Amino acid sequence: MKEAVRIQQEDFSQDEEIRALQASSKRMGGIATFLGCARDFSEGREVSEISFDAYGSMALSELDRLRSDAIEKFGLLDARIVHRIGTVKGGDNIVFIAAGAEHRVAALEACRWMIDELKQRVPIWKKEITPQGDSWVTPHP
Amino acid sequence: MIKVLFFGPIAAATGVRDVSVMHVPGVTLGGLKEMLAAQYPEAMHLATMMAVNGEHVRDLSLPLADNSEVAFMAKFSGG
Repeated sequence: MKEAVRIQQEDFSQDEEIRALQASSKRMGGIATFLGCARDFSEGREVSEISFDAYGSMALSELDRLRSDAIEKFGLLDARIVHRIGTVKGGDNIVFIAAGAEHRVAALEACRWMIDELKQRVPIWKKEITPQGDSWVTPHP
Repeated sequence: MIKVLFFGPIAAATGVRDVSVMHVPGVTLGGLKEMLAAQYPEAMHLATMMAVNGEHVRDLSLPLADNSEVAFMAKFSGG
């Protein structure tokens, strides 16, 4: 089985991730997921590709810590986080987060919390490649 | 030596992904940042986050040990 937390160039399968999460416990009554994908339009400009850079070792350890924190904070049974790096095109998958809990509220709240925290804590940077030129993305609140 | 890492917009501004800086006893994170700012003013202006040996650090008075790995980082934009 693949690691629960990964940073990888290749695409991921949401079905595989959810199956792996479900396999971790039969007490799981609710699974919430977040899929972040690449937009082909941003700030009024067409975006042809998005390129990611990361402080790989730190990003992976921060994602591991984020998963552990979420499991403890929300009493999850399990959680998984996969983030892509390299270059993606409009419509491609970027990040997948899944939270599994006995009940839906914890799963939903944990999923929202993890993507918000990821944006604050994990050293990954996004560059939009447009016909007018490239620009590093300024984070949104 | 102290290994300094640059990523994303900061690497683009410096034109390099890492530099090695001679370790001087007593040097702090803030001291290193000031020294780099003289060489890479535009890049270091973007450096709002810092990490030492892979851990987030906010305290500029932190003394740096020899062989530390220091990253000066722009605000993250993953996800």
